[in-house]
Amino acid sequence: MKTIVVDPERCIGCLQCEFACAVEHSTMRDVLLALVEQPPPRRRVHVEAGPRAGTSFPNKCRHCDPAPCQLVCPTGAIHRERDHDAVLIDLMRCIACAMCAMVCPFDVVGYHAVGDRSVGRTVAIKCDACIDRLRAGEAPACAEACKTGALTFADPNDVAVAGRRRVTAAVLAATTTEPPTPVAAETVGAWRAIGEATAAAGLSGGAR
Amino acid sequence: MTAFERNGHSKDGIARLTMPEDAQQMLGLARSAGIETVWDRLAAQEPQCGYCSLGLSCRNCAMGPCRIDPFGQAPQKGVCGAGADLIVARNLGRAIAAGSSSHSDHGRDILEVFLATAKGETTGYRITDEAKLRRLAEEWGIQAGDRPVEEVARELAEAMFEDYGSAKTELGFVERAPDARRALWERLALTPRGIDREPVEMLHRTHMGVDSDYANVLLHGLRTSLADGWGGSMIATELSDVMFGTPSPRMSTVNLGTLKADYVNVALHGHNPLLSDVVVQAAADPELVALAKERGAAGINLVGLCCTGSELLMRKGVPMAGNHLIQELVIMTGALEAMVVDYQCIMPSVTDVAKCFHTRVISTFDKAKLPGAIHMPFDPHHGLEIGKAIIRQAIDAYSNRNPDRVRIPVEPVPMMSGFSVEAILGAIGGTPAPLVQAIADGTIRGAVGVVGCNNPKITQDYAHVMLTRRLIENDILVLVTGCAAVANGKAGQMVPAAAELAGPGLRALCTSLGIPPVLHMGSCVDNTRILVLAAALAKHLGVDISQLPLAGAAPEWYSEKAVAIGAYVVASGITTVLGVQPPIFGSRNVVNLLADGLDGVVGAKFAVEPDPEKAAVLIRRHIETKRRGLGLPYIEPDSIVAPTPAVPATVGA
Repeated sequence: MKTIVVDPERCIGCLQCEFACAVEHSTMRDVLLALVEQPPPRRRVHVEAGPRAGTSFPNKCRHCDPAPCQLVCPTGAIHRERDHDAVLIDLMRCIACAMCAMVCPFDVVGYHAVGDRSVGRTVAIKCDACIDRLRAGEAPACAEACKTGALTFADPNDVAVAGRRRVTAAVLAATTTEPPTPVAAETVGAWRAIGEATAAAGLSGGAR
Repeated sequence: MTAFERNGHSKDGIARLTMPEDAQQMLGLARSAGIETVWDRLAAQEPQCGYCSLGLSCRNCAMGPCRIDPFGQAPQKGVCGAGADLIVARNLGRAIAAGSSSHSDHGRDILEVFLATAKGETTGYRITDEAKLRRLAEEWGIQAGDRPVEEVARELAEAMFEDYGSAKTELGFVERAPDARRALWERLALTPRGIDREPVEMLHRTHMGVDSDYANVLLHGLRTSLADGWGGSMIATELSDVMFGTPSPRMSTVNLGTLKADYVNVALHGHNPLLSDVVVQAAADPELVALAKERGAAGINLVGLCCTGSELLMRKGVPMAGNHLIQELVIMTGALEAMVVDYQCIMPSVTDVAKCFHTRVISTFDKAKLPGAIHMPFDPHHGLEIGKAIIRQAIDAYSNRNPDRVRIPVEPVPMMSGFSVEAILGAIGGTPAPLVQAIADGTIRGAVGVVGCNNPKITQDYAHVMLTRRLIENDILVLVTGCAAVANGKAGQMVPAAAELAGPGLRALCTSLGIPPVLHMGSCVDNTRILVLAAALAKHLGVDISQLPLAGAAPEWYSEKAVAIGAYVVASGITTVLGVQPPIFGSRNVVNLLADGLDGVVGAKFAVEPDPEKAAVLIRRHIETKRRGLGLPYIEPDSIVAPTPAVPATVGA
């Protein structure tokens, strides 16, 4: 089963996934029209700054199974869509009690007004795995927007195989003269090293 | 334990964001009052875009915007076909063009008023330093002799205006550079031809489909920066001296304690001394002082901010309230009646903070308006009247002050300023010889320009102060401008008594001359004074600037102007260490060229080192390497280690 696989090493904090997510979840699903919608369309993927400059992590619903949010929802608003293995919220049933947010292991449930006028109030909002796109055979908007490979729509088992091959290469390199393949590109490594050095000197401002 | 903790600072909370006591108190006040500051906005922006931080995004055309995947997977070329090297180089080139244009447009504004003054069309302006005018005129091939000053000034202004055009092949001030440097610039096609021409050509070259060779773009970047350093900025400095006086050493005070609780306080903020100079004149007007007293104030108190502050501090000893990151916090004192701004580095947020207080923000240049400010356009033909109108605004605002909200956090700290090249050479007998001798015999190891801005990504002032401290401890004379100067002033490193902080050689030199080990050379356009001094030393020794034991450092830089300054300093032969990384790391080739290859081209290069302790080691090693090259006594560079300076073996040469 395919899902959104995150490689935090490759996230450079450009926020393009957040933007694409908000547009995908707008009423008009158009970059320009989405900007003027009221209430504003909300992103469901959240890129928070890491402990060092140049590091960040795109956090979103992992569509757990069993899903703690689904287990605690008192109105049965949360259910699993078996065809795409997605945890979805029936907004009409949601009573915004925040039980799901409290139990979410990833803290990715938020409460916002939505564009759907039939709902007409603040409800629980989280990643819906771009279910409409999946049904149309497309990848989720965040994975499509990500150009660095931090977010990919893939089978985790396949990703693990690729990872094991990298590990194997590195292990063999350590016992032979073959240099290991760098995890991050040299350029990104040098860029992050400055962030590391700034933090090590105790000088980082901002959120860090 | 980090350097920061060693110095008794907690890494947590506000002390992590800013070092000086006045800023810490005001930021605490901002936090409790819920007033947003630059640090909050940085936190809200994080994480900042990696493509942009790496220089890998391009918005130059409508086939784009494009970005290059730094991990080498998906797109490696923009729609036009530009790869990482070219996109990074084009972005850097445009930053240099913007910085160079900013300084040079400032220079043009000075030049226009200078010409109008020569024609007798201005009020509040005059030729203050006639001797300097005549020296400059002779330098520019204009017979000064005992001809009327207005006539000489007019001819000089007209000659300088030609440097802004594109009919010349070399700027007038290029002649100040040593022959070896000029030959190198000629060979590499780096000689700046026109102050406006080079940045315009950079915009042309970086348009889609023009210069696709990243190295060629970067070389023109150096020429563009030289049009600033040896052109626009130098004209700004020299003509400001002619009109407002060449600085000479004087004592003043610095930090938010320069605001006086019972006075009408006016902060002069920005970069251009044209408007602020007439405000200084207006503030002394007996009628206005009487008016202020009538409203219950003890008088009118002017303070400077940023580089306008440096211009006034250097020439008139006007107290300095603070540097870049103080501009929001100064309003938090509740004691500021007016913030008069000209241009550059004025955060658009100052009017938002001012709304929480009685402070009036007054914008003065038609090219730099701020929503929420009162606009009182600068006009040299009515300079003094406008200056008086501005002071009247401040006096009016004083009536609205809420005394319960006044909180001036600290006592001011003394600071010595006013070290123009003329003042420095004057202090040592009129020629560079004694300075050269002090360097040659190792009394001082070399000199370093610590310059540049504040940046909320770096604990405010800490990198400036710490780097400077480590350099003077090791007998390296430090020349400071702009925000770096203000940081050192606040930290008490710019009084003659601070010689105690210096190594034995520098201490003895400073004590004998009665000067601090850290010399304030002016605002950021006044970095040209450092170029002029370096050129004079090189010429005296008959060598190129790149052979001298000099370095530059911009530990907390943020602006495009700083990029231009860094580029012209390196292109002039002085290796420069940056404390904040420029957006170039997306291209290994560009990084390699700037941090290594450039040394073989212009005899200087860039380094990036945020930790001031390590930057100090880098710079000391560089200086000793240069000493070795000149055949002077040197310390084995590799024996210099961080962070506690060991006692290295001296190797004779």
